[in-house]
Amino acid sequence: MSQSRARSGLGQCLRWMSGASIFACSCAMVVLVAIFGWLVFGRYILNATPTWVEQLSLLLVVYITFLGSAAGVYEGTHLGVTFLRDGLPRPLRRIATLIADTAVAGFGLVMMLACLELFEFGWSTKLPMLNVPESLRTLPALLSGGMIFLFAGARVIGTVADFIQGSSRAGEEN
Amino acid sequence: MGLAILLGIFSLCVLLGVPVAFGMGIAAAAAFFYEGFPLLITFQRIISGVSVFSLLAIPFFIFAGELMLHGGIAARLVRFASALVGSVRGGLASVNIFSSMLFGGISGSAIADISALGSLLIPVMKEKGYRPDYAVNVTVTSSIAGVVIPPSHNMIIFAVAAGGGISISKLFLAGVIPGILMCVMLAIAAYILALRHNYPAEPFPGMQTVLLTAAAALPGFITAVIIVGGVLSGVFTVTESGAFGAIYALLLTAFVYRSLTWENFITAVVTSVRTTAMVMILIGCAGAFAYLLALYQVPTLLTDLLVTISDNPFVIILMLNVILLLLGMIMDMAALILICTPIFLPIAREIGMDPIQFGIMLLMNLGLGLCTPPVGSCLFVGCAVGKIPIEQALKSIWPFYLAMFAALMLVSYIPAISLTLPGLIE
Repeated sequence: MSQSRARSGLGQCLRWMSGASIFACSCAMVVLVAIFGWLVFGRYILNATPTWVEQLSLLLVVYITFLGSAAGVYEGTHLGVTFLRDGLPRPLRRIATLIADTAVAGFGLVMMLACLELFEFGWSTKLPMLNVPESLRTLPALLSGGMIFLFAGARVIGTVADFIQGSSRAGEEN
Repeated sequence: MGLAILLGIFSLCVLLGVPVAFGMGIAAAAAFFYEGFPLLITFQRIISGVSVFSLLAIPFFIFAGELMLHGGIAARLVRFASALVGSVRGGLASVNIFSSMLFGGISGSAIADISALGSLLIPVMKEKGYRPDYAVNVTVTSSIAGVVIPPSHNMIIFAVAAGGGISISKLFLAGVIPGILMCVMLAIAAYILALRHNYPAEPFPGMQTVLLTAAAALPGFITAVIIVGGVLSGVFTVTESGAFGAIYALLLTAFVYRSLTWENFITAVVTSVRTTAMVMILIGCAGAFAYLLALYQVPTLLTDLLVTISDNPFVIILMLNVILLLLGMIMDMAALILICTPIFLPIAREIGMDPIQFGIMLLMNLGLGLCTPPVGSCLFVGCAVGKIPIEQALKSIWPFYLAMFAALMLVSYIPAISLTLPGLIE
């Protein structure tokens, strides 16, 4: 009972994280369109190009890319070739899925650790035109790595737990 | 050994169903590690691969396409196409193809095309006695025009994957005739099948209706004119014209057509975010992957291999087409553009093929892959919209495949088809 409550609590927490990422990305997308509109207006109508727009846009796109792709892991929307795996018998399919999820979780963990290092390196360097630490460009990759690790890791734990539960149920029936 | 690690791990990841972007990232990280580079180089390359100014056009194009999809532009284009070409035999098929040509040209996305036009036209075609598989097949195959008719975000991905040096204006122009050719070929196939099945022609509504529907569709069509015209005239960069196109589409659908509700706007933003993230992370990871392919001289190795099979350019072009078609059947378009361009473009250059012609050939091949199983996202969406099983669509899709293949062969072997218009802005 407490195990299933813990799983549903974790599930809710992960859903919230994914939703928050999409919300943040959506806000970034709207800001991106708005500031680029301002850039075009400034350049062609006011004859005064707001030079900060290009740098801010590049920063926003990094946030959209990394936070959005972390949410994509939760929602399972990334492009992949799954027909070969889907054609396998069920036990093999579960093992293949488990390995794939573990690989993605591992990638997320390595990304988080490597980007943590990049984040620390970049704190003293400033982004041109924006005058903010270069680390802000690495931050979304750091967060994304952590979330990818959690989302894919939760799936691994879920699959293993289902497998153990299934085995113990089969043992009890025998 | 490093190359074996890179390709081996990537292939294993793909076989296991790991998302392609992460498969490339994992393989690149492993190869960098094997070569003694610090692991953070992989992620530095991924982040810098995403932070490229010309790539900013991609979210704008995707957002503009979503706004058009949810903002009523498609319905007006269908009304115009119906008035103009509906009166030929099997008229609704022609309407479908002509609408795809117009809408694909504006949205630049095959999936947006099917979702928008398929949901409007497939039910009407079924109601008028057209076979459901015919209706789905016409919609699915004609949607591929959106991949080559400008503006297409896939062209920007190709230009980036080619490592710069390819003019996006020229690519835009290069796609026009092949896109129209593809639609003409499909219209011929659809017409022949319409004669065979004795499908009806719609009554001609009169010139006044044609002009009225054209006037209603014109503001929507101007979106494409803004994007393509802005780039071609040199007034805007491709990124600026994408942003301007998105803002114009937003103002048009919200304040002129008044068909964009708040809910539709949120859906358009959220869908664009999801698609943008999916495409951009692919581009980032492919940047690291392609760096290693170049480091291991894969393009040179492959060119040498193909030249040992034959040094005849015609045979090599055929081999490239076959390889791209087969790859297109098992992997999605954006991923393949990013993987195949750095590998096959040097081969195309080696045999004297213009990079722009190669780009259009690549996009057409991979576009065909979008409507072939087992990984045919357009085919799947079309069948879902038409509510028919994939097997039913596949039984009768062959005439349309043949039409598209014929267009592909013409584009592959006659450079003038894709290079005449870009040649005009030399």
